[in-house]
This record gives sequence, C-alpha cells and structure tokens, in this order.
Amino acid sequence: MDAFGCVRRCFAIGALAARNHLLGELRQEVLLGNEAIARGIVESGCHVVASYPGTPSSEILPAVVRFKKELGLATHVEWSINEKVAYEVALAASYTGKRGAVIMKQVGLNVAADPLMSSAYTGVKGGFVIICCDDPGPHSSQTEQDTRFFAMFAKVPALDPSSPREAKEMVKAAFELSEKHRMPVILRPAIRVSHARQNITFLPVQELERPADFEKDPGRWAATPPFRYILHKELNKKLASIEEEFEKSELNACDEGQDHTLGFIAGGTSYSVLTDTLRELGLDGRFPILKIGTPHPLPQKLVADFVAGCNQVLILEEPDAVIELQVLDKHKVLGRHNGVVPSAGELTPEVISQIVTAEMDKLGLELPPETDTRELATLVADLDLPVRRPRLCPGCMHRAAFFAMKRVLGSNAIYPSDIGCYTLGLNLKAVDTCLDMGGAVTIASGLYQAYHQDGKDVPIAATIGDSTFLHAGVPALANAVHNQARFILIILDNSITAMTGMQPTADSGILADGRQGQRVAIKDLVRACGVGFIEEMDPYRVRDFEALVKRAREYSRQPDGGIAVLIAKRPCVLYDPTPLQENPVRVAVTEECDGCQYCQLAFECPALVLNEALDRVVIDRRICVNCGVCIEACPKECIVEA
Amino acid sequence: METMNFALVGVGGQGVLLASDILAEVGVQAGFDVKKSEVHGMAQRGGSVLSQVRWGDKVYAPLVGKGEVDFLVSFELLEGLRWLELLKKGGIAIVNDQRLPPLAVSSGGMEYPSQERIDKALSQASKEYHIVPALAKAQELGTERATNVVLLGALSNHLDVAEEHWLKVVEERVPKKYVELNRKAFAAGREL
Repeated sequence: MDAFGCVRRCFAIGALAARNHLLGELRQEVLLGNEAIARGIVESGCHVVASYPGTPSSEILPAVVRFKKELGLATHVEWSINEKVAYEVALAASYTGKRGAVIMKQVGLNVAADPLMSSAYTGVKGGFVIICCDDPGPHSSQTEQDTRFFAMFAKVPALDPSSPREAKEMVKAAFELSEKHRMPVILRPAIRVSHARQNITFLPVQELERPADFEKDPGRWAATPPFRYILHKELNKKLASIEEEFEKSELNACDEGQDHTLGFIAGGTSYSVLTDTLRELGLDGRFPILKIGTPHPLPQKLVADFVAGCNQVLILEEPDAVIELQVLDKHKVLGRHNGVVPSAGELTPEVISQIVTAEMDKLGLELPPETDTRELATLVADLDLPVRRPRLCPGCMHRAAFFAMKRVLGSNAIYPSDIGCYTLGLNLKAVDTCLDMGGAVTIASGLYQAYHQDGKDVPIAATIGDSTFLHAGVPALANAVHNQARFILIILDNSITAMTGMQPTADSGILADGRQGQRVAIKDLVRACGVGFIEEMDPYRVRDFEALVKRAREYSRQPDGGIAVLIAKRPCVLYDPTPLQENPVRVAVTEECDGCQYCQLAFECPALVLNEALDRVVIDRRICVNCGVCIEACPKECIVEA
Repeated sequence: METMNFALVGVGGQGVLLASDILAEVGVQAGFDVKKSEVHGMAQRGGSVLSQVRWGDKVYAPLVGKGEVDFLVSFELLEGLRWLELLKKGGIAIVNDQRLPPLAVSSGGMEYPSQERIDKALSQASKEYHIVPALAKAQELGTERATNVVLLGALSNHLDVAEEHWLKVVEERVPKKYVELNRKAFAAGREL
C-alpha cells in the first residue's frame, strides 16, 4: 500500500510537468516507431518511397500513405514486388536528384544485397535512405542477422535509433548525410523501436523543389570494372570523412558518471534498456555510458578515448557484436568475444539486468536486494501450462488446400513450403521445408532432380502464397520448367499479403494508396513460364480439389507431362469475410462421434474441440465461422450440416 | 515518480493491441512520459500475445523485465497464469474469466488449469487479484469486441487518472458508431 500511495502522489507531479509540455503549439500523437519513421520520411520531403512488407517493418509504408493523404503531397509510394525491386525504384529517384527511401525487414536486405553493394560504389545524387528493421529474438524472422554488418560489408553508414522519437530524427539526419556525401545511408531500427509507441511531435514538411534531372555520367551510373576501382577508392574516402564527422556528431552522446571502474558502450534498444536497468538498480548516473547512434563507421577516436578513461568497458548492442568488432583494442572490453554477453537472442531487461548485476558483483558493489523472481518462476513452471502455438484461423482457405493435398498424396510425399501464414501448415504436417522467400519452388525443383537422378519418383507438392510467388517464385518456376523438373505447385492465392497485415498484391491490381493500378495475373505469369497444366479452384470444394491434385500428380508423371500448377483461390477470411457471410454452412457433430480426433489432427481447426465429458468432438461456436469445410474432415461422416 | 508498468496479455485476435494503445494514450493524456511495446506478425494468429505499457517521468525502454509489472491485465485465464512472473511483489492482477483452450487442451492431451489452481496461483503471485466477467459484460452490451474496454474500465479503478481522460481516448480510438457502446463498456468495467 505504501508503494502505491507514493506512486499516486508522484502521478500528480508528473501530470503537471507534462501538461506544460503539452501546451506547445505543435501537434503530438502517440505513434508506433514505424509510424514515427514514416513521419520522418514525409517531413524530410522524400519524393519516392518503395517497400516490400515484412515484420517488423510493414507499418511504415501505410503510415507514409496516411501522412501523404493528410498533407495532400505528391509522394510516390509503392508496394514493390520484392525488396530488390523496391530498392532500385527508390534509388533511381535519387539518380534524378530527388529523395528516395526504401523500406524492408532485415532478411529483405538479403534480397536487395545486389543493388546495395553496387550503389555504395556508384553513390547517389538525391538523398537515399535504406530503412531496414532488425528482429533480435527472432520474433517473426528466419534469422537474427544484424543489418549493421551489411552496412560494414557494403561500406555504407548505419544509424541506430534507441526510441521511436530518435528514429524519426535519424531519418532526417540520414537524408542529410546521404545528400552531403552522395551515398546510401542505412537506418537500422530494431523491433523494439519499430514496435514501440511514444509521443511524437509533428513538424512541418520540408519542401524540396527537385524536378527530375538525370545527368548522364556513364563513369558512375554505368561504371565498368576499371571505373569501379576508382569508385571504390572514392567510397573509402567518403567513409573516412564520414567517420571524422561522426566523431563530433550529436548522434553519439556520453552520459557522464563519476565511477570509472566500469563504463558502458551501448546502442539502440540496448541503450534504453541499460539506462532503465541502472536506474532500477539505484546506479543512475554512477557509471559513464557512451551511446553510439552511428555504429558504422565507428567513431574510433571517440570510442578509444572513452575506453582509455575507464578500467573496463561493457558493450551492449544487438543482435550482434558490430561495435565490439570494430573496437581496435579489446583488452579492457567485456562483451560477446569473451562470453559476457550472450551471442544469440534478444537483450531483454532480464538479460541485461543479469549481465550488469554479475559485473557489479565482481566490482564488489552492493546492490539493493534484487527483485527475486525465482519463486514466481517456480510457481509458473509447476503449473506446466500448455503452450499456445499460432494456428491458421478458423475458415482459412490454406487449411482446406493443405487437407485436400495431404489426403491425396499422403505422408510419404515431400512438402516444400514458403514464408507466410501458410507456414503454419506445419501444424497439419503439410509443411516440410521453409527456407526463404520463393524457396518452395526451388527446393521442390532441386528435390526432384536429386531423386530423379536415382531413378526415383517421389511425390513432391510445393505450396507458396500469392505475394511470395510474385516476390521470388516466378524466376524459380521459369527455371524449374526450363530444367524439366516435375512436381505439383499449389499457389495459395488469398488475394492479399495476410501475415504482415493485409497489403495488396500485384495480382489484385490495388496500389499502396488504395487506387486501382494495372493487374498482373498470377495465372498469366504461370502460363508464360511454360507450365502445361494450370487449374484454378476454390479449395473449399475439398472433393473437387482432391480430384485436381490427383490429376496434377498424374500429369507430373506422364511422359509428356511436367510441372502442374494449381491455384487455390479464395479470399483470406480476415481480409474479406463476405463470401462466408453470404453463404454460411453451419455444422454440427452427431452423437455417433466416437472421439477419434482424426479431424483435430488432420484438419486442425481451432473450432473443433474435444469435450472430454461427452467423449466426442464439439464445435466451439464462439470461433466457428461456418465455413462448413470440416464436414469433409470426418471419415465417419459425423460432422454434418446442422 | 517510480515508473508504472502494465502488462496486457491474451490470445492473438482478442483486442490486446487496441487496449494497450488506449492505455498508452491515457498515460500521455495524464501527463506521463509513455513507452509501449507490442507484438505483430506470427503471434497474432492465435498465439500468446504480450503488450507492455510504461508510464513515468522519464521512460527509456518499452520493455519490462520479470518481477517489474505493477498491473497484469489478462484477457484470458490461462494466459494470466503464463505471465505471472512479470508481476512485482505487491502487483495487482485483473483477469477476464474467459477460457480459450490451446490445442493441447482442446485435443485432450493436457488439462486446462482448474479454477482452484488458477485462484491459488493468482493469490500467491499478487497482492490482490480480480477475476472479472468482462466478456459476459461486453456480450450483455451486444458485442464481445468491447471486452477490452470493459477490462480497461476495471483497471481504471486502481489508477488515479480522471475518467474523462479514459473516455476521451476511447472515443478517439473506436469507430464513431461504437462510441456509446464503448462508453457503457468502460462504465461496466468500473463497476466490476
């Protein structure tokens, strides 16, 4: 009660202070980090913004659209077909002197690595900023890769914000830096910046009159290897002068401390978490902290001077040791190279608190009795709670397609799949591989060649979403056809990029700002790749879809056959529930159900629930969407239309 | 002041994100420095969801460690137990009495914790806990979707923030035609 009373008193004081703050004339709003970045892009007067969706970056472009509309700007925004394409579209705007920004998640930069490496050499004209969101954890990615390493690899500068507010400010700094040195600049917000919320002040938009003006300069824009050598030397010079500039930059800051037995170097989210942690341990202001906002190129002198002034220096950054690696003299440094900081996973408050506490112990510092969470940890562990895995939604058309595919081809077939909601087909044992964007088609192709070489015919059925097919599946399919691979490819076309938050695809023809653009039909692309068997069907028609899968399998085996493509077409239930509402099929489980649970295992709909008292499966009406597909999922015909 | 930490937990699709948005904005209205973290992507498809909100004089990180949360607001009983470790000594738990069995339970492999175990765990981990019929209240008003606002109403009883701040933010954040319903949902929550 005491603590609570104290908190209440302080509430009033806090409220007063901030009320004054709020009296300012500028509009403020609590924004998601990604929305703050979008605001930064718009305020910087950026002309062309391109992106491919991916967690944790997906909310940036829609917020750019929002501000563009609110302010009546002519900004060109686009969801590009993939990250490489997005990169180059925005880069070309910079060739003309305009400002360009490209937005993606960290693994997206793998796809856009080619233009990144090359454009570092050619440089840019108008400001060009790459916003690439990292995912330490990882929470929603296939790797924990550190984009700051990409900056080192490509020899371009990287800025690392520690909060949404700072991310917005750094967008502006990045454009200025890019324009001044005529080179691409990376802004690297990590997930806890992208998906954090904070109060953000709206500033006026910088008006930049920049009529497109592409000046021909083949030695730069079309540079051949001899010119590339010259450009490389130029790049090295730029990087050296940027490092010089970073030595005095306000993007780096030192929080003073009296006790120099230990110093901290930290960047990004780790800086924020460290600051809070030290305060909670009662060590606020005791030790010096060097906050690094420019992890590449690292301001070597600033860092060396800081290290020289401390007995030891602990480096906290994520997800990898990019600052640490660049520190030349490591004999005083504590970090990942000597195992003080873990080399995988997010640096959460618990992790940082443990690291700091351990170092304080070594220094012989007495800390206030640490909140002991062991008791609660034991309590929760003893409860042995079932995990709650993500699952395909009730009514999801992917489930219907997976179910039909598996019922025809069985568990001996190999099922390469891809990146999207349908990766959750894992739960139905309908996904055997998930490598990267487009990997379903190439892995299927390679598997075929590997077995075919041995004279073996193993059924292979690959699944890929509509957006993922357009992203990287098209060249993979053309390659597979050309090289005479044979497999079934099921394109799961739910008309939308669902997992990342319902971004429109090129197949829908809808543009990033909601206008109608030119449609690029998946079916036409498949045909143009030379596929001889193409069928499209709503997978809710399970029996018919199964017949199609059978025909596809036959086609892939017959002498004049080849790759068979099935387009499973039905809108995502979350995106467009109208077809379901117009034609609901209410189901019931009959009393003949013997509780065998085949439906739960093979169909895996969250609305199918075992009632242990009745010893049979029942429908959870709260979440059932009346798709009626599960009627097919009971081999004993106990699920019926009610 | 000491920073006030909230954890809002539940199952993807229950409206945890919107509730934490509202809580963050109420903090700003009441004059605090506010930070919030949320989860997007994979977990939103029916997985466990955690969103953290922090109010204070100066808040750096959007994350809260174990044993640091003042208020745990759970949209689902089992999820309330899962995140108990976040609660600080003297923390308060507010838990919607809804049960959403995970697959391991609905397929009969594991058991959903009994009411007795739930009560025991909550009472051991918190200074006080309230299991509230937020879902039922929202259903009475006509839509399950208002469950999150009912829960915020229940939470608001423990905080010294004027009701007008809450209502202002709720009005701003819900579609116009649902404003009245959500005002009622908030009031219903305050009565729980």
